[in-house]
Amino acid sequence: MRRGNRIWSWIVMIIGILYFFLPLLATFIFSLKAKLGVLSFQAYANVFHDPAFVYNFSYSVLWAISTIVVGILLFVPTAYLIRLRVPKLRSAVEFITLLPFVIPAIVFVFGLVRTFSHPPLLIVNSPALLIAGYTVLSMPYMYRSIDTGLRSIDVRTLTEAAQSLGAGWGSILFDIILPNIRVAILSGAFLSFAIVIGEYILAQYLAKPAFAPYMAYQIQQKAYEPAAMAIISFALTWAAMGIIALVGRGNGQAQVGGGH
Amino acid sequence: MTHLTLSNICKQFAGTTAVEDFNLEVEKGEFVSFLGPSGCGKTTTLRMIAGFEVPTTGKVTIDDTDITYQAPNQRNVGMVFQAYALFPNMTVAQNIGYGLRIRKESKTAIKERVTEMLALIHLEKKGNSYPHQLSGGQQQRVALARALAIRPQVLLLDEPLSALDAKIRVSLRAEIRAIQKKLGITAIYVTHDQEEALSISDRIVVMYEGRIEQVGTPFEIYNFPQTAFVASFVGTLNTAPAEVVDPAKHLLKIDGVQLESAEMLEDKHAGDKVTIAIRPERFNFIAQERKANILDCQIENITFLGSVVRIQLLIGSNRFYMDTFNNPFLELPKIGDKAQITCSREAVLVLKA
Repeated sequence: MRRGNRIWSWIVMIIGILYFFLPLLATFIFSLKAKLGVLSFQAYANVFHDPAFVYNFSYSVLWAISTIVVGILLFVPTAYLIRLRVPKLRSAVEFITLLPFVIPAIVFVFGLVRTFSHPPLLIVNSPALLIAGYTVLSMPYMYRSIDTGLRSIDVRTLTEAAQSLGAGWGSILFDIILPNIRVAILSGAFLSFAIVIGEYILAQYLAKPAFAPYMAYQIQQKAYEPAAMAIISFALTWAAMGIIALVGRGNGQAQVGGGH
Repeated sequence: MTHLTLSNICKQFAGTTAVEDFNLEVEKGEFVSFLGPSGCGKTTTLRMIAGFEVPTTGKVTIDDTDITYQAPNQRNVGMVFQAYALFPNMTVAQNIGYGLRIRKESKTAIKERVTEMLALIHLEKKGNSYPHQLSGGQQQRVALARALAIRPQVLLLDEPLSALDAKIRVSLRAEIRAIQKKLGITAIYVTHDQEEALSISDRIVVMYEGRIEQVGTPFEIYNFPQTAFVASFVGTLNTAPAEVVDPAKHLLKIDGVQLESAEMLEDKHAGDKVTIAIRPERFNFIAQERKANILDCQIENITFLGSVVRIQLLIGSNRFYMDTFNNPFLELPKIGDKAQITCSREAVLVLKA
């Protein structure tokens, strides 16, 4: 019976892996067929030599970094203060952080355009609106990562210990809280990075240069280069995940208390 | 000279009174323990001294300076927590020096003070270790050094030994007391462990349901409990309902047996109902002729507790305990035997209602 269960587990796992990897493998092989009759990295070379790729991708990286910075500045103090001062609000805030999963991006972007396209909030053309939008979209990942990090440390006692030593709020946040949730912040940051790099609707409808709209345009124009870009995009995401895993493994966050 | 004063302190949380009319004066260099069961208000009172809670009414002063509404980081009060609360991202040396770094002391001064503190807690070689590399006892010593490094006016310790095993608890409490005496620092220590409080303190404040039950030296608290709660909470105590027979002669009666007490009973009248208390170790088997405090009893059970033997007795309808030193050459009565025991008149305490 147990042996039968194990075989079924393997079968299900293999089907899952094939379901995920076969299209990726097919895309990768397809991306190598830019030159007739041989497998080559020509499509990749074409992508990297295209100034439009560099231009759009650079902007996406800029939006991603800005989103991460804004996210950290906004969500770390919020999650910290909610945990410390108003823990009753946690479930309500958790619900709010999940709204980007519920509200379709297209509804969200039209909401942004309608709200911010006339005075006194005429900022529809400003990159700030795009970054604000990305911050909202990455909120489920960023906020929850930070909240999970805060859960792994005894926030209240560490705060009180720092206060009793004379530390103010700034010192507590920068000296004690941030370093102890570094892995959680990194994890949220890389997930946000992946979200922003692959996001299409916001950049398209707010008319800002970005990688995803560029890739969508290329799909209509070329055959092999979009496949190469899809693989590049996957590679970047995986590299980000790898860095999270690497940093996470090298920095086991010490528990407060315990021991003997 | 009074160093720390708590005057008429009350603290309420959403209509529930956590601390009620708390008054205490602590001398400089004194070691005072707050002792009581969970929820008695001892930690809340400590947190009001630290500034983590603001009293609903009342005043906290240190050296005549009112600090009642001062933020915790503005007070010069060191605190040691039950959960150690060492900063996991900092080394032992960085933890100890953190308060001085916040005070913007020079690097040389911080280094000197950290070295001094490490020597004080005998962890000279652990300066570069991280908290998770230390045992619980070592972590708590670092927490103590960190609290002392800032030269606080008052040191607060919130059940600092609760998370440690019994053997380390005993050695560390002696170390804490030795360091406190050496530095002459005023310390307030919160504990629910009576043995800890009795062994370490200059004075003990016994608390129950937010109120002070009794303040006194460990000797006074143990030997002369003033209330039924203190009597029951500190040590083992036999209590029984009694009736005043003759207040002038200090005579009482339990289950028809007359007892003489040394307590003043002027405010009592013959026939008044009172509660008497006798420590188990104050009883003896009658070895010679006595005229007073002779109690007929039956042995119900005998328990060996190492150096002490605890004998359970039935005196009338009251169940009492008697402690006697474990002497292998002394013949003890057997279970079911009838015997006579006695105690001095000073051992018979009359508790306040």
